[in-house]
Amino acid sequence: MKNISKKKKKFFAQITFFILITGALSGMLIGTDVYTEVQDGIVEVLCLSCLKLDPKTTREFTFDTANDLAHPEYVLENLSSGIIFLHYSEDACPGCDIMLPIVQDLLSVNYEKKDLFSKNVDYQGQQIRYFYTNIDHATPGRTEPFETYDVQDINGLPMFTIVTLGYYSGVIKPKLVTLYGTLGVDTNEQRMQVLEEVIEDAFTLWNENIPGYEP
Amino acid sequence: MKTQFKRTLSQILIFLSANLGPIGVKTGFCYPFFYCNSCPAATSACPLRALEVGVFQNSFKWKLILFPLLIIGFFGVLTGRAICGWACPIGLLQRATAPVAQNLKKIPIIKKFALLPIEPKLRYIKYIMLIGLVFFTTALIGFMFTNLCPIGFLTGTIPTLLLYPSEFVFNSLFFYPALVIFILFLILIFTVERGWCRYFCPLGALFAPFNKISMLHVARVDEDTFQKECLHCNACSNICPMGIDVTKMDRDPECILCGKCVEICPKNLIEFKKR
Repeated sequence: MKNISKKKKKFFAQITFFILITGALSGMLIGTDVYTEVQDGIVEVLCLSCLKLDPKTTREFTFDTANDLAHPEYVLENLSSGIIFLHYSEDACPGCDIMLPIVQDLLSVNYEKKDLFSKNVDYQGQQIRYFYTNIDHATPGRTEPFETYDVQDINGLPMFTIVTLGYYSGVIKPKLVTLYGTLGVDTNEQRMQVLEEVIEDAFTLWNENIPGYEP
Repeated sequence: MKTQFKRTLSQILIFLSANLGPIGVKTGFCYPFFYCNSCPAATSACPLRALEVGVFQNSFKWKLILFPLLIIGFFGVLTGRAICGWACPIGLLQRATAPVAQNLKKIPIIKKFALLPIEPKLRYIKYIMLIGLVFFTTALIGFMFTNLCPIGFLTGTIPTLLLYPSEFVFNSLFFYPALVIFILFLILIFTVERGWCRYFCPLGALFAPFNKISMLHVARVDEDTFQKECLHCNACSNICPMGIDVTKMDRDPECILCGKCVEICPKNLIEFKKR
């Protein structure tokens, strides 16, 4: 008798748990954007620190964009006054946490990790238009170049794109380089140095080509 | 069809379904087992990664905490830890390494280790891993278990390096420590049968309590018949990959419902039970 009552209680507990869990799970899937959040934020964006690898850093500028996507308007407009530095990050990303203070120190900018931030930075007498985008808090307009400039289709964070100008078949066009992760080097000094060198190369190209640039 | 064959088939099919990325299937679900979303072919997200993102540096994203827990809870209430035995690709890997571990069990020092009174207590490490490394350090410091995870190394790092050998370099901060942990993981699974599941798997720790209330479970037939007919041959306990004393088992949190004890019992005194 006691055994039957115990069994009944267990069955009641099982059914209760099952209904609660199934209801809550269905409710979350129907009523919240958690599915999209997991899909866009975890499955489709590569966590480079989870991977324990960095994409090989190539410092060569290219005219190519991913799938030949057009450059965003605000990039084309701002190129008239200086080079563009696009910095992409996300909340839970140790690699992003390593790179954030390095970039802030290099460009003398200050903001919180979750902010959307942009500023005209005076860098050794020249202008950099800096855009910081945390993709967990960004508008679609701000995340658009994340896809456009991910030429190698890495889809990983952190990602840095520096857009400058280059000459191609008689036309001055945007030319860019995209770097990922902790830049494939070991120390913060080396990371800073990689960024400095790329910025210098970008300014050299920009200075050579700005006279013929029409946005 | 024999239980173990069905199990192999289930594990292979689920392994394939976890790798549908190349045909464009990238869902917003979390796997209910251990598999890394940084695998080039991954279909879904690692539940631990979702939990970590949910608590990272005290950012309380309740949806990302609740979602994987509910997915695990759903399967947990239905089948307990059967996911570990029937679905998890790391379980499949450990089935492959089990013959080596079983042979090594005959070595006196390893045999002695298995009999040490501390051995059952080591199983609590997985709960410490779950609470300490997945939740606590992630919330307080920002260090994430998945940065050094040996399963991420096996299913994410190694396939990426094999598929794209010239496109990636080692991240010195995470790669070498993760490599050391991965080597230790390999030693573990070759020396202790289901060593990862027994001692370290944080997902196993999440599933384990559900064995107490799951609808499906492995149990002895009614007590009277069992006491009368059991030959005390210990075949069930000897074959148990989780090292459970099956003759005394009552909804043991370690049971992965593999069914080996059910199959081997000469008197059919152990069975899969519903409810």
